[in-house]
Parts: sequence; structure tokens; C-alpha cells
Amino acid sequence: MNSTPAIALDHVSKWYGQVIGVNDVSLAIDGGVTGILGMNGAGKSTLFKLLMGRLRPSNGSVKLFGTDPWETTSPYRRVGYVSESEKMYDWMTSLDFVSTLARLHGMTRYEAEKRAEQALSFVDLEGVLNKEIGKYSKGMRQRVKIAAALVHDPDLLILDEPLHGCDPLARTSIMNVIREMGSKGKTVLVSSHILEEIERITEQIVILHSGKLVALGNLHAIRAMLDKHPHRILIRCADSRALASTFIDQQPVYGVRFIDSESLEIMTKDLSEAHQLLPTLILKSGIQIYSIENPDDNLESLLAYLVGDA
Amino acid sequence: MSDTIEEGGLGEADIEAAYGSGDGDLDTSATVASTPKGQIFEQIYRPWNGPLGPRWVRNYAIYRHHVYGIISGSGHRRYHPFVRLALLVVILGSMTPILMLLLSSMVSGDATGFLNRMWGVNRYNLWGNVLGYFPRNLCMWPLLTALVVGGLVSDDRKNGTSALYFSRPISRLDYASMKWLSAASVLATVIILTYMMYYSAAIVFKGEGWSFIADTIPIFIGGLVAGIFLVFTYTSIGIALSSISTSRFTASVSFLGLILGSKIVAWLVEIQFETTYIYLLSPYDCLAHLGQWLVGLPSNYDHPLIMSVVSLLAMNAASLSIFASRVSSLEVTRE
Repeated sequence: MNSTPAIALDHVSKWYGQVIGVNDVSLAIDGGVTGILGMNGAGKSTLFKLLMGRLRPSNGSVKLFGTDPWETTSPYRRVGYVSESEKMYDWMTSLDFVSTLARLHGMTRYEAEKRAEQALSFVDLEGVLNKEIGKYSKGMRQRVKIAAALVHDPDLLILDEPLHGCDPLARTSIMNVIREMGSKGKTVLVSSHILEEIERITEQIVILHSGKLVALGNLHAIRAMLDKHPHRILIRCADSRALASTFIDQQPVYGVRFIDSESLEIMTKDLSEAHQLLPTLILKSGIQIYSIENPDDNLESLLAYLVGDA
Repeated sequence: MSDTIEEGGLGEADIEAAYGSGDGDLDTSATVASTPKGQIFEQIYRPWNGPLGPRWVRNYAIYRHHVYGIISGSGHRRYHPFVRLALLVVILGSMTPILMLLLSSMVSGDATGFLNRMWGVNRYNLWGNVLGYFPRNLCMWPLLTALVVGGLVSDDRKNGTSALYFSRPISRLDYASMKWLSAASVLATVIILTYMMYYSAAIVFKGEGWSFIADTIPIFIGGLVAGIFLVFTYTSIGIALSSISTSRFTASVSFLGLILGSKIVAWLVEIQFETTYIYLLSPYDCLAHLGQWLVGLPSNYDHPLIMSVVSLLAMNAASLSIFASRVSSLEVTRE
């Protein structure tokens, strides 16, 4: 079994003069879809440029499949990259564009065209593959870039803001592609500053802030580790005060806040224990429950907590 | 409340006259334009298990992309129709002596006549076919180089497409060498191939024998070597200028300015101060000086040949090092 991860960064830093792009980032990623999250200027694009050998780290080492991408191009045979840049050969048809890039992997003309057709079909562009890219919509252009990244069947797919500027239909299509690639056992790294996009694709996340790695791992696991911020459980019920009286003396409950007569918020440091306890207490109280939600068990609040702490 | 309108007050007819035509204004129904329903397609990913070709196949793809674009518009680097037309004119212009040789062979008794003296194979004509100033090095070769090499790297920088190469298994050396080679081959096709065609045409049209070939082949080879130096130098200077520019126009004009400007300045200095040393700054004159020595012509320059050779080597080294440093630092990927 090969133990070399697809991506390995060891104490990587990158400075642009006095400005820090990436600050002492160490991580290893292998298999499945991982979302890179961060505000604008967090260091996502710098990280991707380091991975793609476009920048040399000021400190530390970057490895793709165990090889330094700045020193050698060999890892790129297994990497598909969708850059943030909009630039393409607009005068080419998507078939020509994708097959031209396929030929840069050493495919023959016949192989390249056949494979380009398959890749374009995979991103649902088979009907327009002989149309010039310059006449494509934004979403179609993004899908051409994804097809170009997939054309050589890479093991690692790096997507820099692939959903940027796409309409909802194109977003859904591209998300489907990403999920499908992840389910095929490929390593997919996808960046975004829109939390709900990443949340719909994967729960495996890397959060960057001001060039620093602030969290890495499963979204819910990271949330559970944030002891400073109690989990909130929002319950809508027929009588919030009566329900609160049944919770207040329970061990996992940290606090209770009344929002209105039919809504209350329970704060707990142990979400799973609280959820185990809830059904019994609700049944015992006999109060009608309309809904139970975990409002801060999502990326947005997680990012707010982490960035606030960072 | 009564809906009755008082006499003399605003009635329904008055209100409609003031605010609308009354035909359907008060209807509460609306029609929404129908839009096609969205469609989410089903992805079926088909992995590709074929082998990926070796380095030379990948490099050939870069080379082919640049060179074939001159002939075929689809699927390759785009050359503007004007550029293609200009290339055609330059090629046809450089083949004029072949036509004149044909004409000379068809005119009886011209073996020592005007046409043969003007366009037949001799030292001056072999040198002139590559290094003659007018029209070739004034109008044709610099223009050809500016059109072909000017946008070679700067277009990629301007369009941000050089990054496409470096996300594939293409090394910086492969990228730089294939870009250089593709430009050099286009120049060589026009400059050297037409020179070879001219020499071959002289043999074929005139029915020359082995003695003619034995007499002229050393001069021909001298001209050929001079042509190779010219292609090498012009390509190197052109590509270096292209790599430091984000505009095809700037790179092309800079190249023309460098080749023609240095020549003109050197000429002005020569007529003013009667010295040819300033020609060491002119790439064309260094090549011409070397070319004269290679084909055995008397030199037009007062300074020693070695100085022109050293200057030529320095120009090439400087150009290639600029290009190499721009590529190795990946500055060429910056938009």
C-alpha cells in the first residue's frame, strides 16, 4: 500500500516581501473531497500556486505524491488543476482546447480528441463542443476548465473557486462533478469563500485565515472541539418556559435563553449527550415540539468562532 | 360606503381618461413568462487507462500548436489573417530570385547576361539572399521576426495562458525550448529554405554540372551558416523582448526598433565620425560582417571580425539569459 499522501505540506510559508501569503502551514490530504475555506486574502490562491509549482515556498516543503512540484513536473501527470483565472484560448472550440491540453500529457491526436469528448460529455457540454469558447457562458467556461483538468484522468484534482460566478444550475452541475470525483476515490481539493457551497460538497475542511491554518478535519468534529463556544440547540415548542424548567437542572445544559414564548435556546458543551437526553425530557414534559435545530453547527458559525479566536 | 359618483364629480370615465385606457387595468390576474425547466444531468465518469506519452510527444504538442497555427486556424495558436498574409508576401518576396533564375534560363544567351549577373549564383548573391540589407534585412526578415516572435510569449502573458502549460507535465526548459524552436523553425523555413531553393533552382534551371557545384558549394555553405546565425540571433532577441512584454505590439516594435534603429544610428555615426565600431551594437551588422567572412567577400567594416563575433555572442547570451530567467522564475505566468 502506498502511504505517500497526495498532498503534503510541511511548515510551509510564503512571503511576498513584507506580506505573508501563507504562514507555517502543515497538512496532509489524501482521498475524498476537501474544502479549503477562507476569506479573501486568507492564502487559498497562494496555497494552490505553491501546490502547482507556480511559487516556490519561502520556507518548508511542498510535496505532491511525495515529489516537490517546484523541482519537477512529474506529479502533474496525476494532477488536474482548475485555476481561478478566466483566461482560455477563446478562439478555440472546447473540443480543440481540451484536446490541445490533453496532448500536453503526451496523448496522440486521436486519443486526445476521444478523451476530450468524454471529459466534455462528463461536464454536460457534448452538445456544444464545436462552439468557440469565447461564446460560452460563465458556467460553461468553468465546466470547460474542469473538463480540461479531468481529461488525463488525474488522481488529484485541485479546483480554485470553481463555482465563482456560476448560476445555480451550473453550480449544482459542478458540485455533482466534484462529489462524483470524490466518490471515485480521487483526491479533490476545492476552495471557496462561500461556506454553503463547501458545506454542500464535503464535511472535510481546511480553514485558512491570514495565511495561517486555523482548522483541519471534519466540520462537526472541529465544531465539537470548540469548547469555548457552547453549542446551541434551538427548540420551537408550545410553551418554552415550561420546557425550560425540565432542562435547567440537567448536567449537559450550560444555559437557557428565551427567544419568545414559543422558542428557546439551550446551550451545551456536549452536543451529542444533550441530543440523547432531549427525547426523554420532551416526552416527560408532554409539551408539543415544532422543531429542533442546531443553528451553530455549520461552517459559518464555525468560521466566525475560529477566525474570532485566531 | 356608496360607490355612487356625485354629479359633477370624477366618474369612472374621467378616471380612466386620466390614468388608463380601462381595458383590463383593473384585472388582478397576471401572466408569467414561461421559462424552461432546469436539468441536472447525470455524470458517468469514464476513467482513462491509456498510457501518457513520453517527453518528446508532449514537447511536440507545444511545437505543433505554435507552428501549425500559421497554416490552420482551428485548434492551434491563432495568427491574425494579416500576419498570415504578411508571411505569404515575405515568402514570395524571398523567392523572387528563383523566378528570375527561371526567366534567365528561358532567355537564350543569358549565361553571362544581365539577368544572370543580377540573380545568378555568385558570392554577392548568395550573401545577399540571406544578409542583403535591402530588401531582406530592411523590410522582410525583421518584419517576419516581429510578426512571428513578437506575440510568442507576450500573448501567453497577456491572456494568462502560459499557466496552462505549467499545470501540465511541462518543465520550464521544455516550454522555453519549444517556444524558441517553433519560432526559429518558421524563420528558418522562410530564410534558409528559400535560400536552399534558390541554390537548387540555379542548378536545375541552368542544368549546371558537378564542376559548378564543386565551385560554389563552399560559398553556399558559408551563406547557409550565416543564415543559421541570423535565424538564431533574431529568434533569441525577439523571444527575449516578447518575454518581458505583455503586449505583442510592444515586443514587435521593440524588435524592429532594435534591429533597424541600431543600424541607422551606427550608420549616422559612421558618416559623421568615420568609424565603424558603433556597428558592434547593431545585430544586423555583426551578422553581415560574419557573413561576409563566411562567403569570402571583402569586409565593409574597419573593425576586426572577432569583435563582431564577440558582440554577436554577447547579444545572443544576453537575450537567452533574459528569456531563461523570465521562464525559470515563472514571471511569464504573470498577467
